[in-house]
Amino acid sequence: MIYYVTSVALILIGMYAVLVKRNLVKIVIGLTIIDAGIHLLLIAIGYVEDATAPIFSMESLTANQMVDPVPQALVLTAIVIGLGVTAVALALVIRLYDHHKTLNINKIRKLKW
Amino acid sequence: MVINFTPVHYIAIPLLAAFLIPLIAKVSKNSVKFVPGIVLLYLSYVSFTLFPIAINNPIVEVIAGWQPPFGITLVYGPLAAFLVSMITLIGFIIWLYSFRFIIREPIEKYYMLFLLLITGATGIILTGDIFNLFVFLEITAIAAYSLTAFLRDKDGAEAAFKYLLIGSFASTFILLAIALLYAQTGTLNIADIASKIDNVEMPIRIIILILFTVGLGIEAELFPLNGWAPDAYSQAPSPIGAVFGGIVVKAAIYAFMRLIFVLFNFESVFYFLVIMGVITMIIAEMSAMQQNQIKRMLAFSSIGQMGLVIIAFGIGTEPSVQAALFQMFNHAIIKVLLFLAAGYLVFHSGSKSISSLDGLGRDKPITSFFFALGALAIIGLPPFSGFWSKLYILISVAKAELIAVVVLVLISSVIEAVYYLRVVSRLYFYDENKEANVRRTPATGLIAMGILAIVIVVVGLYPSAIMDVLKPAASELVNKAEYIRIALIK
Repeated sequence: MIYYVTSVALILIGMYAVLVKRNLVKIVIGLTIIDAGIHLLLIAIGYVEDATAPIFSMESLTANQMVDPVPQALVLTAIVIGLGVTAVALALVIRLYDHHKTLNINKIRKLKW
Repeated sequence: MVINFTPVHYIAIPLLAAFLIPLIAKVSKNSVKFVPGIVLLYLSYVSFTLFPIAINNPIVEVIAGWQPPFGITLVYGPLAAFLVSMITLIGFIIWLYSFRFIIREPIEKYYMLFLLLITGATGIILTGDIFNLFVFLEITAIAAYSLTAFLRDKDGAEAAFKYLLIGSFASTFILLAIALLYAQTGTLNIADIASKIDNVEMPIRIIILILFTVGLGIEAELFPLNGWAPDAYSQAPSPIGAVFGGIVVKAAIYAFMRLIFVLFNFESVFYFLVIMGVITMIIAEMSAMQQNQIKRMLAFSSIGQMGLVIIAFGIGTEPSVQAALFQMFNHAIIKVLLFLAAGYLVFHSGSKSISSLDGLGRDKPITSFFFALGALAIIGLPPFSGFWSKLYILISVAKAELIAVVVLVLISSVIEAVYYLRVVSRLYFYDENKEANVRRTPATGLIAMGILAIVIVVVGLYPSAIMDVLKPAASELVNKAEYIRIALIK
């Protein structure tokens, strides 16, 4: 239960940062916090109390003694994707800073919504 | 070569080529340009040869020997065959156009990202696994963010950052929806989820639906989630604007509709789609009217057309889905033509605003002619393909007895006519803009536009050719049980 509460809390904190903060770097940090929250949520879905890592070659283990391996595989993929997006985002932040000499999003908005 | 070709090659070949491009650039900078062309020409050739096979006998490919529902499958049915052929063909045409248009360094990065984008879009259409769908959406999105900022100017970076911000929200919502679906059904195979979704309680199903609608609605330009689109379209290089309208949005709409039809096919969802479609269409057409930059105008028009497509999907009958797919095809070819023509018009007039296009019809007769042809086709005038798809959509809407929607579609067509003809009249009937710096349009650009113009006219004269192809595609999308049977049993 604690995992679910924490993951939802992380997602909400991240969204708060993205929506309210005016600094570009803080917005990117907010995005990574959202990602972390979702990853935790996925892991929590596959978690089984008192179970161990799903290693099929260990014959003494039965299926109900293992945690669900699928969400873990998903999270590994999602982490890689999140890394890619963060890298692109930071590259764009650097470029925006080069052009505008500021990280404040209020001073950058030239294109209208 | 063709004999051993399986659907996974649609993903593997462009992905491999994309990663080889930087290496090839080290050896010979000039040959990089040809790589995407060869890849896409080959893929579109193969997709046309595979087409008849896929219609009669859908191909389900199991990756790495894990049988469905456990492994990842690729489902190459009539609908996927149609959309993949469309994407590879349009990709090839846009490459042809880029060949002389993208002269700015670093061209190898442009072509690499371009191929990654095509990979992602075909992957979205082929995959039968919902998490795989998410991965391909992200591949497409990351390539699209980078390409938006390709020109390295102020506004490009800003548009790209905005797109990235909204896109990240979209992926968050989609991932949450996938997590919930997995928690409820214990599987990731779309067909397997579809066969188990009825056991899921209704409130949870609706939460999942909302998450998917927000996530995919952002990519598919649904109102009010489409704030990124006008900026990204207008700040990206013109061929990339064409890619967004012709490929990225089409793949996103496909993903959205596939999930709606197999997972959430209850009555009220379809009403919701019709309402969202109408709102999207009306607001977008009104906004397009107010634009004074041509590429922003095209972007809003693109959103409006997506609204029309969603209305047709929302009617939910087989003929209306067929009409929606026809409209998607038409929009793909016509909007790409408009973007490509506008690309050179903007390039030569030196400014993005519509008023600087005055009198270019005399200096640039061929490009202007293509733009005018595209404008008439997208409004839906009779000899062109756009007429038929709009007519079929109106017929199916009228059959569903939604007369108000018919009226609104007609009104938005009139608005469309006003703002497109305004541009066309400026091209032909206004005094020349003295500042225009007119040069000849390169032959590759003209060939690319010429192919599209020929397709528009030919499809306009023989609409039944496309409609026949779309019939099995539409029935595959509407018929949930059929999809489950095809995708699960091998």
